[in-house]
Amino acid sequence: MDQPTSPPRLRPAKLKTDVAIDIIGMHKWFGDFHVLRDINLRVMGGERIVICGPSGSGKSTMIRCINRLEEHQRGRILIDGMELTGDLRRIDEIRREVGMVFQHFNLFPHLTVLENLTLAPIWVRKMPKKDADDIAMHFLRRVKIPEQAHKYPGQLSGGQQQRVAIARALCMNPKIMLFDEPTSALDPEMVKEVLETMVQLAEDGMTMLVVTHEMGFARQVANRVVFMDEGQIVEVNTPEEFFAHPQHERTKLFLSQILQ
Amino acid sequence: MAAHTPSGTSYVRAQAVAPLPPPLVESGAIGWLRTALFSGPLNIVLTILSGALIVLIVPPLLNFLIFDATWSGADREACLARPDRPVVGACWAFIRERLGYFIYGFYPIAERWRVDAFFVLLTIGIIWLLAPTARRRTLGAIYFFVVMPVLACVLLLGWPAIGLPEVSTTQWGGMLVTVVVSGVGIVFSLPIGIVLALGRRSRMPLVKLFSVIFIEFVRGVPLVTVLFMASVMLPLFVPEQWSPDKLLRALVGVALFASAYMAEVVRAGLQAIPRGQYEGAMAVGLSYWRMMGLIILPQALRVTIPNIVNSYIALFKDTTLVFIVGIFDFLRTIEAARVDPKWATPVTSTTGYAFAAIVYFICCYLMSRYARDMEARLTTTHRR
Amino acid sequence: MKRGILTFGLAIAIASAAFSASAQTLNAIKQRGALNCGANGTLAGFGLPDAQGNWAGFDVDYCRAIAAAIFDDPTKVKFVPLSAKDRFTALQSGEVDVLARNTTWTISRDTSLGLNFTGTNYYDGQGFMVRKSLKLNSALELNDAAICVQQGTTTELNLADFFRANRMKLKTVTFATSTEAVKAYDAGRCDAYTTDASALYGERLRVANSNDHVVLPEIISKEPLGLAVRHGDDQWYDIVKWTHFVLLNAEELGVAKANVDAQMKSDNPEIKRLLGTEGKYGEALGLPNDFVVRIVKHVGNYGEIFERNLGQPTPLKIARGLNALWSKGGLQYAPPVR
Repeated sequence: MDQPTSPPRLRPAKLKTDVAIDIIGMHKWFGDFHVLRDINLRVMGGERIVICGPSGSGKSTMIRCINRLEEHQRGRILIDGMELTGDLRRIDEIRREVGMVFQHFNLFPHLTVLENLTLAPIWVRKMPKKDADDIAMHFLRRVKIPEQAHKYPGQLSGGQQQRVAIARALCMNPKIMLFDEPTSALDPEMVKEVLETMVQLAEDGMTMLVVTHEMGFARQVANRVVFMDEGQIVEVNTPEEFFAHPQHERTKLFLSQILQ
Repeated sequence: MAAHTPSGTSYVRAQAVAPLPPPLVESGAIGWLRTALFSGPLNIVLTILSGALIVLIVPPLLNFLIFDATWSGADREACLARPDRPVVGACWAFIRERLGYFIYGFYPIAERWRVDAFFVLLTIGIIWLLAPTARRRTLGAIYFFVVMPVLACVLLLGWPAIGLPEVSTTQWGGMLVTVVVSGVGIVFSLPIGIVLALGRRSRMPLVKLFSVIFIEFVRGVPLVTVLFMASVMLPLFVPEQWSPDKLLRALVGVALFASAYMAEVVRAGLQAIPRGQYEGAMAVGLSYWRMMGLIILPQALRVTIPNIVNSYIALFKDTTLVFIVGIFDFLRTIEAARVDPKWATPVTSTTGYAFAAIVYFICCYLMSRYARDMEARLTTTHRR
Repeated sequence: MKRGILTFGLAIAIASAAFSASAQTLNAIKQRGALNCGANGTLAGFGLPDAQGNWAGFDVDYCRAIAAAIFDDPTKVKFVPLSAKDRFTALQSGEVDVLARNTTWTISRDTSLGLNFTGTNYYDGQGFMVRKSLKLNSALELNDAAICVQQGTTTELNLADFFRANRMKLKTVTFATSTEAVKAYDAGRCDAYTTDASALYGERLRVANSNDHVVLPEIISKEPLGLAVRHGDDQWYDIVKWTHFVLLNAEELGVAKANVDAQMKSDNPEIKRLLGTEGKYGEALGLPNDFVVRIVKHVGNYGEIFERNLGQPTPLKIARGLNALWSKGGLQYAPPVR
């Protein structure tokens, strides 16, 4: 319907290697609690992975390890060939390449929508303000709320806020996007607009890791579905196989609960 | 009934209800009296008591301060009771004669224009920095924090090379000292307090330990003691020629003391910021200092504005304690002048203290008023 | 706590006093071009700034006299207002050269505080103010009287001692501040108000009708006030001490501000020695021989200083009393110049 005004799409930034994310034998503990156990996952460039599982299964923790919001204690994580270590500069470098969208948006309430979007490009990418504004407006048009640019996040609906959050991550021109339950905190009628934005992003070829319970989204865009339970990856499969022929008992139980 | 369907399913509305105006409430003066002042037995008692209190206090106060007051005169004779004037109110003639002393202290009369110039520079800086409509505020900040202090130092201390005779700080006094001490405390306590608050929340053990010890030690000691230590103990350890100026010592003491309190205020603000804000900032690649400076502190300081201003008001009033180390601040000059035999009368002390109270009240009220306005401005524009 | 800090500070002060002692105070003052004088700033008649912020008072004039002796210019004084709490450390640390702040001379201050008192320039002591209408002539008639006093002071203790020693019945009414005590006395809650006599005359001005009140002649405690210097610089000690003595001698010999030039031609050997026309007594102190002329010309003699700041021309109207010269029934007595 708004096709005539729809702006040209930017291609996602190119990865240096074929493998976007490589997680090898990763463990993590919260105190005594072994929250992630021997995680092994290789995500190729352009791949779209949906991660699901019961709550407390460690799926959020896993993707938060990928941009070091959580620290893993054993094993290796490589992002586009760079290993994630305690080196702060390396962490900042990786965070610049990996965008993240949170369940609760985490927009900056004291800044306007536009300022939310341009903050990191200006301060981290050292982009001139004019260019940052142009890019921000481009992505606001992409998520279909350019008219909200000068409002504060608090004046927007939940769905609009989450679309701003996606645009904010995209403004850094990331190679990889992480979504941590992006629709869980939204009212049902707003879930659709956010998912549409994510589908569009998938169509552009973005490498995406999405923690979600939206099985429709998984069927539509995922290359693979990862099922986690009790801190372990229980099953990895194509969406068709995953939904039609779940291999594992726990997967079957989970699907029966979520799809009834 | 007409709105309901006749079919018997009477709980289904067939027609939409048009919005109605709200029911009439009692309005006008009587309505207001009834709801605001006499709405219940307790309220009636409180109203009567407060009314009685006002009647009891206000007329004598006005009589003393205004109607029976002495407005002019050359010495104590003017403010003494005479048979033809049995009731004597405030002796404003005394304040008038000594006003210069209350403002400038011992500052040489020929050089007092320098203090006036300093006050003008300061006022420009404050308006530039704080007025909501002010433009080019970055320039204003540079002026206030760099240009003005340098100019003020040259003006107040003097620079014989350019024809400004030196005026040592022992000659400063009155409002000048109060403004300088509280100004330095206010300007320095916030940044130092922020650093201490961040230090206290730091993961680096040494930084954290230092911050905690500093904050807890200074907060656990009365300001009087801090001043006393800074002023009396320091010179004993340092040779006299290296020993810093007496006023400077008090300034450092006040600034450090205020910083410790400010640190706790800022820490409370930091704790009010949800973890998501940190994660949001980290996820877009901001470094620690940028995250703090751009995301966390602006929000933390905003929620703590009332507490920060509270601290400032307390600090402004606490500056009166510098008298303990022999510095003549505004209140001390009044206390010194009131014993002067030239003006000593039964009402002189009362007048002096009333004047001090009025001046301190005006200053503090302006501060809290400005803070309230700013808070209101921020909540309307920056809603969460 | 505070006491502990104070004691600790003083212990260090004494140690450091030994260091700084060797410094020649007089030379330092000459080099600096001004005398640093620790003054009160809040005591009527002794040290108080006027409307223009100029220092005036009895103790203040002593500093001006010393400056006149050194520089022939009484304005070359930098007054440092000191509180009762920081006055001793200011002197010990060298912040001031001389402490002229109505300080009572006691053995502990003279010895363990590392100070040298240079004489008693004002004999103070606790006195009483009563209403004239009571027709009292002596404090001994105060039996059974209600007395207003500031609480927690030595004044309160002295009062009790005096009444017990004289077998009189005492009713004290105590207040936290002197202002409150005077107010209560003025309101008729007590028959008498007591504090140090030097302050009593000032307080008298703060009652509704000061002419209806008198200060009784008895002084019931010893509060000898004097100037103090640091231990260890005897030359400087002598200068300050003899400034006081020559002021007394000048009064005794009738040398005053107005007649000092004429007195230079006097044949009286005592005056000749005092004014330096005979002998080299100034040089012995490190000052010019005519230093007394300088002092008297600029600030007058002891009597003139007293009258100007405390006496009849001032609202305080303090009588000379104990501070009259020894030859006139008082205690002020100076060793001779010879």
